[in-house]
Amino acid sequence: MTARRVSVACLGNRFRGDDAVGLLVADGVRAAGVEVEECEDEPTRLLDSWEELDLLVLVDAVQSGSAPGTVHRVDASSGTLPEGLTLTSSHAFGIAQTLELALALGRLPPRVVVYGVEGVSFAAGADVTPSVASAVPGVVAAIVRELEDGG
Amino acid sequence: MSERAKTRTIRTDYLARVEGEGAMLVKIKGDEVVDVQLKIYEPPRFFEMLLRGRQFTEAPDITARICGICPVAYQMSSIAAMEQICGVEVSDTIRALRRLLYCGEWIESHTLHVYMLHAPDFLGYASAVELARDHRDLVERALQLKKIGNDVMRVVGGREIHPINVRVGGWYRAPTHAELQALVPRLEWALEAAVATVELVGGFDFPDFEADYEFVALRQPGEYPFERGRIVSSSGLDIAVSEYEEHFVEEHVERSNALHSTMIGTGAYLVGPLARYALNSAELSEVSRAAAAAAGLGPVCRNPFQSIVVRAVETVEACNEALRLIEAYERPEPPALEVAPRAGSGCGCTEAPRGILWHRYTIDGEGTILDAKIVPPTSQNQKMIEADLRGVVSSSLDLPEAQLALRCEQTIRNYDPCISCATHFLKLEVERT
Repeated sequence: MTARRVSVACLGNRFRGDDAVGLLVADGVRAAGVEVEECEDEPTRLLDSWEELDLLVLVDAVQSGSAPGTVHRVDASSGTLPEGLTLTSSHAFGIAQTLELALALGRLPPRVVVYGVEGVSFAAGADVTPSVASAVPGVVAAIVRELEDGG
Repeated sequence: MSERAKTRTIRTDYLARVEGEGAMLVKIKGDEVVDVQLKIYEPPRFFEMLLRGRQFTEAPDITARICGICPVAYQMSSIAAMEQICGVEVSDTIRALRRLLYCGEWIESHTLHVYMLHAPDFLGYASAVELARDHRDLVERALQLKKIGNDVMRVVGGREIHPINVRVGGWYRAPTHAELQALVPRLEWALEAAVATVELVGGFDFPDFEADYEFVALRQPGEYPFERGRIVSSSGLDIAVSEYEEHFVEEHVERSNALHSTMIGTGAYLVGPLARYALNSAELSEVSRAAAAAAGLGPVCRNPFQSIVVRAVETVEACNEALRLIEAYERPEPPALEVAPRAGSGCGCTEAPRGILWHRYTIDGEGTILDAKIVPPTSQNQKMIEADLRGVVSSSLDLPEAQLALRCEQTIRNYDPCISCATHFLKLEVERT
């Protein structure tokens, strides 16, 4: 059996308050010895490597009205995200659209899991909200388990 | 006519397909456009504050974080300013490599906008996702072109987004000939794909709208402008980059955290592809000029909806220029000059994909940044976007509400506004009373 091909991609912006949370998760996942792709720009470039993947894990900040720091784990293997889960990255072409585009182009990996961390403050220069930052270790652990379980 | 019939409101809650998000409000009273406002919510001055107290050598890395789409532009303008302050002029070989990095950014940024954000308007699709379902080949071509732009940035800059190889004085490491040569076959494909892009978008159906723009761009004799030049305008302005503040002012707009730029004595002005092209089309390479001519572009284009064609022509130019620079490449040795800080102020201005990006810094003798001022292209274009919107809406009042709202969105998208440089949420409201 060939090794499973997985990718963890974390989106965000370190200078925009809680939008940094995806990149904080990236720091943690990398410290756990897992290779991570960071995306601070628009995410369609990530599509370049999706065709060859078995499992894709995406991490981003979200705004859905839940309490700050709430972690949403969404199976996005269908290429669509549930309505009401707004990914907040200020990217030109959002992650939801990128998943739909991957589906249209036949590049969507068979398994896609999105971790959305509920944010509340996205102002430039703002600190990450403490309750959002405190969610990071749990997300990191969950991603590591996700990779081990499926691996 | 009853009062009820006269009062209509169009509201588009979310304006997609611009970089970042912001808000646009259009108020129509009867047959008259009474107000147009581009609202910017986010404090764009955060980075200027952040830079104070940091070392002059950190400016390229910090300012690159302002925009995920055009980090090279921020690096290049900040470096130009710091080198001016410190009295350093880099070698032609170092400069050529900067130009090559910039080509990568133009290819990536222009392709993103032309195919993924702008073309759906003309082909009748809500977004690139719907476009991909019917025209997979076009979107695959776009992704390939974008990837080549990213590859150039990765090989030259060290990483495709927020290049980390750039420094005041030159480069941490200059790529080898072999590394650059490896890009050539794919850049040759990109050049052909870019020419095909001009053919495609040149055939679109454009709204009949022209404006008498005051174009402002860099000009450097013998070159299409990327990383250097004097600031020139269509009415004859011709100034050094350091004279910018004598001719352009930023006004604080009450409804917005952003500053609107105006040209003293002229008012609104336009930067970006249309301006660069109008002021420099004679400097384009033969292949770019031929593509432009085949697409029906004259030496000047005043229809903002045709900016998609000009962007496509500039993508041809960036691919061709990248190939030329690689062919002529001499590896700079050393890759950078040592730059000692010198107290003073200086300016840098380069051509970001969206237009001139002007920086001014003051540093002390230790190299500590005392003051920073950054004028991004989108804030310079804001007044012109409002003027266009006023003109377009005035001539389109007969359109049904949904089509009018779409036409407004298209008018904004013509500018490829990198609102993420300056703002977050973009909502469009059209109010009729």
